[in-house]
Amino acid sequence: MIELRDIRKVFNEGKPHALTAVDGVSLILDARAVTVLQGPSGSGKTTLLSLVGCMARPTEGRIMLEDREITSLPERFLTDVRRRTFGFIFQQFNLVKGISALENVMLPAYPLGERHASLKKRARGLLDLFGILPRESSRAEWLSGGEAQRTAICRALINDPKIIIADEPTAHLDTKLSREFMDIVGRLKAEQKTVIIASHDPLVYGSSVVDRVITMRDGKIEAAGR
Amino acid sequence: MRKSTLFFMSIAVQSVLLLGAFTHAAYQRGRDASILGETVALVKRLDLTDLCLFTEARYTRHPTQADLHSPFQDHPMSLEHFPSGSLLAPRKGIGYR
Amino acid sequence: MGNWFERQRNIIDFTLSSLVRRKGKNLALLLVYTLLVFLLASVMFFTHALRKEASLVLQGAPEMVVQRMAAGRHELVPRRYLGMIKGIKGVSGARGRLWGYYFDPVMSANYTMVVPEDHPLGAGSISIGQGISRSRLARVGDFIPFRRYDGTPMVLTVREVLTTGSELVSSDLILVSEGDFRKLFGMAPDLYTDIVLSVRNAKEVATAAQKVQKLLPDTRPIMKSEILRTYDTIFDWRSGIIVVILSSAVLAFIIFAWDKASGLSAEERKEIGILKAIGWETSDVLLMKFWEGAAVSLSSFLAGVLFAYIHVFFTPVMLFEPVLKGWSTLYPSFKLVPFISPYQVAMLFFLTVVPYTVATIVPSWRAATIDPDSVMRS
Repeated sequence: MIELRDIRKVFNEGKPHALTAVDGVSLILDARAVTVLQGPSGSGKTTLLSLVGCMARPTEGRIMLEDREITSLPERFLTDVRRRTFGFIFQQFNLVKGISALENVMLPAYPLGERHASLKKRARGLLDLFGILPRESSRAEWLSGGEAQRTAICRALINDPKIIIADEPTAHLDTKLSREFMDIVGRLKAEQKTVIIASHDPLVYGSSVVDRVITMRDGKIEAAGR
Repeated sequence: MRKSTLFFMSIAVQSVLLLGAFTHAAYQRGRDASILGETVALVKRLDLTDLCLFTEARYTRHPTQADLHSPFQDHPMSLEHFPSGSLLAPRKGIGYR
Repeated sequence: MGNWFERQRNIIDFTLSSLVRRKGKNLALLLVYTLLVFLLASVMFFTHALRKEASLVLQGAPEMVVQRMAAGRHELVPRRYLGMIKGIKGVSGARGRLWGYYFDPVMSANYTMVVPEDHPLGAGSISIGQGISRSRLARVGDFIPFRRYDGTPMVLTVREVLTTGSELVSSDLILVSEGDFRKLFGMAPDLYTDIVLSVRNAKEVATAAQKVQKLLPDTRPIMKSEILRTYDTIFDWRSGIIVVILSSAVLAFIIFAWDKASGLSAEERKEIGILKAIGWETSDVLLMKFWEGAAVSLSSFLAGVLFAYIHVFFTPVMLFEPVLKGWSTLYPSFKLVPFISPYQVAMLFFLTVVPYTVATIVPSWRAATIDPDSVMRS
C-alpha cells in the first residue's frame, strides 16, 4: 500500500523555466490492485510514477510505502528499496542493445551478487512463462515489438518485486499486443502483485482488469476514481 | 561458458606464464653463470675495457676510451653521424682533469 | 564474500558483453595497447639486462688505463713511460697494452686487434671472435689475408675461434702475437698503444691517477669506475632513439586516455541511464567502468610483457636489430642473460594499467550519477 501526502514536484526550481509537474497530490494506492493514471501528456502522470517508484524525490510532501516513509531515506537505502520492491516497464522498453534477451532479463539482478546458475534458471523460467524462451539468445534489437515488450516485462519481474510500474506500456503496440499486455497484467494481479500504470490509451484504462482509474490534469488529480 | 570465466582463465594462464618467465629467467641465470665467469676471465686476461656493441667507429666500439676528437668534442649533444651514437652517452669525465 | 565475488563476475560478464558489442574498435585498442607495452617492456628488459651484464663482465677490466694525448688526439705511449709508472708508489703492477683497429675492406668491417699478455698460439696464428668467424665464414685452419701498413700482404692462420658465450666482449676481436701486431701496423718496438696498471689499494686509485698525471702531464688516466659508469647509462632514457620510442608510447597513451576522458557518447550515457533505471547503483556503474578499463589494460599488459620477454631473451632482440646494428657490418649475437627485475615489471604495470583504468572511470563519474528518473522521460 502506497500513500502520498501533499506531493509536489518542481523541476528547475528557482529558475525562470521552472516547471511544476505534480502539484499537491494526495493519494492512497491499494496493494494487489491494478491502478491506472490517466490523462493527457503533460498531466504529470509519468512524474508521479517515478516518484512512487523511488526514482526521484518530491520537492515537497511525503511518500509512505507500507507505513514506512521513504522520502527521507538516504540514497543507498532508497536504491535498495527500489531494487527489491519495484519492477519497471518503460515506454520505450529500454532494453540494452547488443546483448541477448536473456542477459537483459538478468541485468537488474547482477549487482546483487546472486549465484549465476540460479539467476539464469529464474530468468529462463520467466521467459518461458511469457512464451519467449526460444528467443533467449537473440540480441535485443532483433526482437519483434511483442517479444521486446515481454522481455521488458520479464526483466521487471526478475527480482520478484511486489509492485510493477509501467509507463505508457502500449504506446508502441498494436491492438492485439495491447490486449495481450492487459492479459499479462491480469495474471500479475492474480499473483498478488500491485500494478500501477500510466496511460492515455483507452484499451488500458478501459480494461476490465483495472480496479481504479485516476484522472490527472496539469499536475493535479481531477478524478480520484473510487 | 561465462564470459567472465573465460576472462579469468586467460588472465590466470597469462599470469602463470609470466611467473614461468621469471622462473625461466632465474634458471637461465644459474646456467649462464659459468659463461659469465668465462667472459670475466677473458676480459681480465686481455685487459678489455668495452663491450663489443657497435663496431662502426673507434669511439662507438670503445666509448670508454674515446678521445676528444669524436663528435662530442664541440658539444656533448652535437649531431651524431653514427646511429649508435644516439644510444650511447659520452663518457663522463671526458677532458683533462 | 562469495556474494562480493559473484557480483564482480556478473558485472564483468556485462562489461565483456558490452566490449564485444564494438568488437572491431576494442580489438584494435587491445592490439595497439599490447604493442605499446611490448615496445616499452622490450626496451626495459633489454637495457636492464645489458647493463647488468656489462657491470658484471667489466669487473675484469683494468683498474686504470693511461692514454697519451698529443694535440688532443690519442698518441702512442713510449716504453719509458711504463718504467716511470711502475715506479709510482701505490702502483702494484703495470704493462703496456698493444691493441688497435684493422679495417677489412672486403667486409667493410672494423676488427679490434689485441695482443694478449700470453699468446700461446705463437707467430702466424690468430684467435678470432665469433662475429668475424660468421661474417668471413672463417674456421679453425682457414687463412685470412691482411694488408700491412706498407701495403704488403700478410697472411695469418686461424687457430682458435673464441666462444659464443663471450661474444658480448669478443665478437670482433683478433688475438695476435706481439711480433705480428708490430709487423702488421709498423709499430716500433718501444711503443705501446696505452698502459694498464693496477693499484695496491683500491681506494687509492684516484690518488694514483693524480700522481700519474703529475708525473706524465701529456697523459690522461681512465679509471675502472668511469668505465663501469659509461655502461650504466647505456640506452639511457635520454639517448636519442629511446627518447623517440618513449615519447611515442607516452603520446599513444595520452591519445587513448583522451579518447576515454573526452566523455561518453550519447549511446553510452543512455545505457548507463537504463542501468540506473533498472536498479543499478552509482557504485555498480562505476565498477563496470573500472572493469572495462581493467580488462583491456590487464590483458594487454600481460600479453605485452610476455611477448617482450620472448622477444628479448629468446629471439635476440630481433626487432631492435636494425637500430642496434646501425651502420656496422659486424654485429654480435645478443644472447643476453635474462636479468629481469620484478620491480621494473611492477613499475610498468603502474605506468600503463593504472592510468588507463583511471582514465576510463573518471569521465564516467558524471554519467554514473545520473538520476534514473531522467530515463523515464526520454
